[in-house]
Amino acid sequence: MLIASYKRPVSLVVLADILAFGLLFFYREPHDFYILGAGLLIITLIAGTYLFIVKKELGDEYLFLIVSMLASVGFIMIYRLNRGLGFKQIVWFSGGIVLFFLSYFIYIRIKIWNKLMYAYAFASFGLFLVTLVFGSNIKGSTNWIVIKGFSFQPSELIKILFIFTLACYLTHSEQIFLNALTLKLKQIKIKGRIALMAIVYMFMGFLVMQRDWGTALLFFIIYITMMYVFDADMKFLLLNVIIAALGGTAGYFALYHIRVRVVTWLNPWADIAGKGYQITQSLFAIGSGGFFGTGLGMGRPDYIPEVTTDFIFSAICEEMGIFGGVAVILLYFLLAYRGIKIVLKTGDTFKKAVALGITCMFGFQTFIIIGGVIKLIPLTGITLPFISYGGSSLTTSFIQLGILEAVSREGGQDEGSISDEGR
Amino acid sequence: MKGAFRMKEDRKVIHILIVMSVLFLSLVVYLTYFELFVKDRIITNSYNQRQWEAEEDTIRGRILDKNGIVLADSPKTEDGWKRTYPHGSLYSHVIGYNSRTYGKSMLEASYNDYLLGSERGIFDFGNRDESGMRYGDDVYLTLDHELQKLASQLLGDRNGAVVAMNPKTGEILALVSKPAFDPNEDKLSANWQAMVESEDAIFLPRATQGLYTPGSTYKTVISAGALENGMEDLVIEDKGTVTIDGKPFSNTGKKAYGKIDMKKALAVSSNVFFSQVGVELGENVLRSLADRFGLGKDIPFEIPVTKSRFPYDSMGKTDMASVAIGQGKLQVTPLHMAMITSCIANNGVMMKPYMVSRVVSHDGDEIKVTEPSVLYNVMSTQTAGAIKLMMREVVKSGTGKSAAIEGVNVAGKTGSAENELTAEGEAKNHAWFISFAPVENPKIAVAVILEYSGTTGGGSAAPIARELMKAYLKK
Amino acid sequence: MYEILSSIMKYIFITIIYLFIYGIIRLIYLDISSMGAKGKHGMKKGKNLPYIKLINRREDLGFKVEETYTLDGNMELGRSNKNDIVIKDPYVSGKHVRFTVHDGRTSMQDLNSTNGSFVNGERLGRDPVYLRDGDKIHIGQMDFLYVEN
Repeated sequence: MLIASYKRPVSLVVLADILAFGLLFFYREPHDFYILGAGLLIITLIAGTYLFIVKKELGDEYLFLIVSMLASVGFIMIYRLNRGLGFKQIVWFSGGIVLFFLSYFIYIRIKIWNKLMYAYAFASFGLFLVTLVFGSNIKGSTNWIVIKGFSFQPSELIKILFIFTLACYLTHSEQIFLNALTLKLKQIKIKGRIALMAIVYMFMGFLVMQRDWGTALLFFIIYITMMYVFDADMKFLLLNVIIAALGGTAGYFALYHIRVRVVTWLNPWADIAGKGYQITQSLFAIGSGGFFGTGLGMGRPDYIPEVTTDFIFSAICEEMGIFGGVAVILLYFLLAYRGIKIVLKTGDTFKKAVALGITCMFGFQTFIIIGGVIKLIPLTGITLPFISYGGSSLTTSFIQLGILEAVSREGGQDEGSISDEGR
Repeated sequence: MKGAFRMKEDRKVIHILIVMSVLFLSLVVYLTYFELFVKDRIITNSYNQRQWEAEEDTIRGRILDKNGIVLADSPKTEDGWKRTYPHGSLYSHVIGYNSRTYGKSMLEASYNDYLLGSERGIFDFGNRDESGMRYGDDVYLTLDHELQKLASQLLGDRNGAVVAMNPKTGEILALVSKPAFDPNEDKLSANWQAMVESEDAIFLPRATQGLYTPGSTYKTVISAGALENGMEDLVIEDKGTVTIDGKPFSNTGKKAYGKIDMKKALAVSSNVFFSQVGVELGENVLRSLADRFGLGKDIPFEIPVTKSRFPYDSMGKTDMASVAIGQGKLQVTPLHMAMITSCIANNGVMMKPYMVSRVVSHDGDEIKVTEPSVLYNVMSTQTAGAIKLMMREVVKSGTGKSAAIEGVNVAGKTGSAENELTAEGEAKNHAWFISFAPVENPKIAVAVILEYSGTTGGGSAAPIARELMKAYLKK
Repeated sequence: MYEILSSIMKYIFITIIYLFIYGIIRLIYLDISSMGAKGKHGMKKGKNLPYIKLINRREDLGFKVEETYTLDGNMELGRSNKNDIVIKDPYVSGKHVRFTVHDGRTSMQDLNSTNGSFVNGERLGRDPVYLRDGDKIHIGQMDFLYVEN
C-alpha cells in the first residue's frame, strides 16, 4: 500500500494527480472517462520514471521530481481550460519523458559536444533563416513554422544550440578565431571574443526581427551571465551591457511595439479595452482568487486571452490562489537551486557551462514570464517551462532537463569526498 | 592550478544563485503585496466580467433610507431584474450607478459585496427566491429621504452642495450635490457623452469631492485658536480695513465697526479683526489648528472624499492673515465643513461621518451595523462652548439673521469664498453657510454652499439651512 | 455538488503541494548533512588521514569509482563486496591489495592479484611496501596518487 507522506515526495505528486484527475472527472458533463485513463497513464509515467532514475542512479533525482509536480499543475489546469489541449499536453508530456531519456543517453554517449561550436552556430543560423523565409506569424511573432497543421517554434531549439555554442567558446576560447576572407595582403584573425559577440548579437537580431523580444532578452541575459561566470573581464561585460542599454533605448524610441509594451506596463488602465486588455484581465483573475483560490473550475480564467500559454500562471493564481502561485514559484526556485548545485559539483568546464546555461534558461525564463503577467515587468511572449501549453516548449524543456540530468550524473567532484581539501 | 580556477568560477555561480533568489523573492513579495493592497482597488472595474458573473445569479440588494423608503431597487423583469432608481437624480452622487457599460460608482461600488450577498459566505442556504436565485443584502442608510428631497428643492437650479448631519453621532441626514444626473441605465446611456463633455462637471459629487475655499466660515476655527491662546478678551479698533505687509485686508464694503471684541467680530464677520488675529497666532498655531480639525487628512467615509488642503510649506504674514479669514490656498469640502460645524456643536468632539446604518439580509438577519465613533477630540468643551455662543450671536444679531427660526436657538456662520471669478466682482464668490440647532442641545448641523452666488452667504445660503433645520426639528 | 468538492479540494491541493516542497527541501538538507557527516567521518580523531586520489577521468572508466578513498587502519581493495573498498573493475581481482595505516605511515601489499599492483611503475612482490607522499599507484585500469596528510 502506498502511504503518501512528505518523506517520499513522489507519493505526494501521485496523490495530487489522483485527486486532481478524480475531481476533473466530475468537472465536465457528461463525466469524462478519458481523463481517468490519462490520469492513470500520467501516474504510471511519473512514478515509473522517478523510480527508474533513482534505482539506476542516473543522476540527480530531484530535477524530475520537481518537474513532475510542475507539469502536473500544468496539464490539470490546461485540461480544465480546454479538453482538447489538455490531452495534447499530456501527449507532449509523455513524449517529453521519452526525449528526456533520449537526451540523457545520447549526451552521455557522445564525447565531442564541446568541439562542435561552428556546427551549432550554423545550425542556428540555418533555423533562423528558414524561419525568416518560411515562417508564419502567429499572434504577433513570426517565429513559428507550420507543417501540415503542426506548428513548432525553432527558437526553442535554438535555445539549446545557443547554450552549447557559448559553452564551446568558454571551454577553449583561445582557439576560436575566424579567418577573414584573405585580402591579398594578409589574413585577419578576429579575436574569438569578437566573433562570439557577433554571433550572439546576430542571434538577438534575428529574434528581434521575429518580434520575439522575450527570447531576445533571455538570450542576452544568458550570454551576460555565462560570460560573467567564466570569462571574467569586467570591461567586456560593461561594454556589452552598455550596447544592450543603448540598443534597448533606441528600440524603445524607434520601434512602436516596444514603446507600446512599456507604456502598457506602466499604465494598462489607460486603454483597458485595447492594448491593456491582456494584462488587465490577468490582474483581474489574479485578484479574484484570494489566498486559497476559487477552487478548480470555479473561477473564470477563460476571460483571459492566451490563458493556456502565456497567462497560465494567472489562471493558477485565480483557481489555486496566491498560495498556489507562490508554491509554483518556489518549485521553480528549487529547480534552479538544484541546477546550480549541479553546476558547482561539476569539474569539467564545458559541462559546467552547459549546466549553468540550462539552469539560467529555466530560472530567468520563469522570472520573465511570471513577472510579466503580474505586471512586475513588461509583458513578453515567452512560455512558462513545463507548465505552458505547447509542444515545442515542453519537448525542448525536457531535452534540456535530460542534458542537465546527464551532467549531474558524474560530477568532477564526488559529494562524499574531501578531495580538494588539504591542498 | 585547476582547483583554484574552479573556485573562482564557483564563487560567481553563487552570485548568480543569489541574483536568481532575489528575483524569485521579488515575485513572491509583489504577489503578496498585490493581494493585500492592490486587488480591492481594481477588481471592481467594470471590465472585470467576474463582477457581472456574480450578478447573474443574484438579485442585487436594495438601498433604502432610514425609514425604509426604497432608493435603489431590483424589480423583476422577463429575464431577471433591472436596477432602478425611483428618485432619479436625487441620489446620483450618493448611491451612484450600477451599469455593465459604465461600471459601478459610489455606494454601488463600495458596498458591492454586500449588495451581492457575498459577505454571507458560500454555506448560506437561505435568502433565495422560488427560482433559486440568491438575494443580495439590503443596505439601510442614515439619510432621511424627506430631508434630501427638501434640500434638493431648496438648491433649485443652482450649483452647489448641502450636507446635513447629526453632530452627536456622525450620521449623515442629507447629502445633496448639484448638478446631478439620472443614474438609471437608459438615461445614463442616452446622456453619457453630453454629460462627460459638459463644462459643468456633472459627475463631480461636490458635497464630497468639491474643494472650495471656506471663506469666513473658517473664522470659527480661528476663534478656537484665539481662545486657546489667551485672546478671549481681545479688543481691536476696526477701521474697515487694515494693511498687513503691504496688502490690504478689508471688511465687506470696507465697513468700519469701531472697537469690537471677538464675539462682535464673528457676528459681523470682521476681516480686519481676524486677519490680525491670524498674524498674532503665527504659523505654528495656524498649522496645528488645521491639523487638529482634520485638514490634509483622509476622511473615512463610505464613498470617496477628497482631502481638505492646507498647502503651506512656510507662511508669510499675508498668508497667515488670509488663512485666518478663510481665503488664500485653504480648501475644504462641504462634508468637511459640516463635520467641523458638528464638532463645535458636539462640545469639541468630531464624530466619524457615516451613511450606512445597517446591512440586513433578505431574510432579516443583521449582517452589519454601524456604531457612532469618535474621529478626533479637537478642543475642550469650554472652547467649543464659547464658539457656540459666538455663532449664536451671528444668527441673533449678525450676518446670519436669515437663518433664525422662531422658538429655536440657531447658531451659524456665513462665508463668502473667493474663486477664480472673484476678479470680475465679488458677486461671483461662492456663498457658504454653516449652522446647527438647537444650540443648547444640537440635533442637526448643516453646511450649505452655493457656487458663484454672491457675497454674503447670509442672503442666499442661510435660508436653505434654515428651512432644512426647521423641517427636521419639527419631526 | 461539484462546487463543494472543488472548494474542499483547493485546501487539500495547497496542503499537498506545500508538503511536497517541504519534503524536497528536507531530503536535500539530509543529503547535505550526510555529506558533511561523511566528510567529518573522514577527519576523525582530528587527524588528517592519508588518501589515494584517482588520476584517470572517471567517465573513461566503465565502472563506478570514487574520486578519493580515505585510508585508515586496515583496508582491503578488490572486486568482491567483502572488501572495504569495492571497485568493479574487470582487471581487479576479488581481493587485490591491502593498505595498512599505522604510526603515521601507510603500507601497501599486493594480495596475489592476477594483474598485479604497481607503485611508481614497479610491480609489487609479496612483501608490503611503504608509501610516500606523491607515489603513483596502478591497480587494474586505475591510476591513483597517494596523498599523505
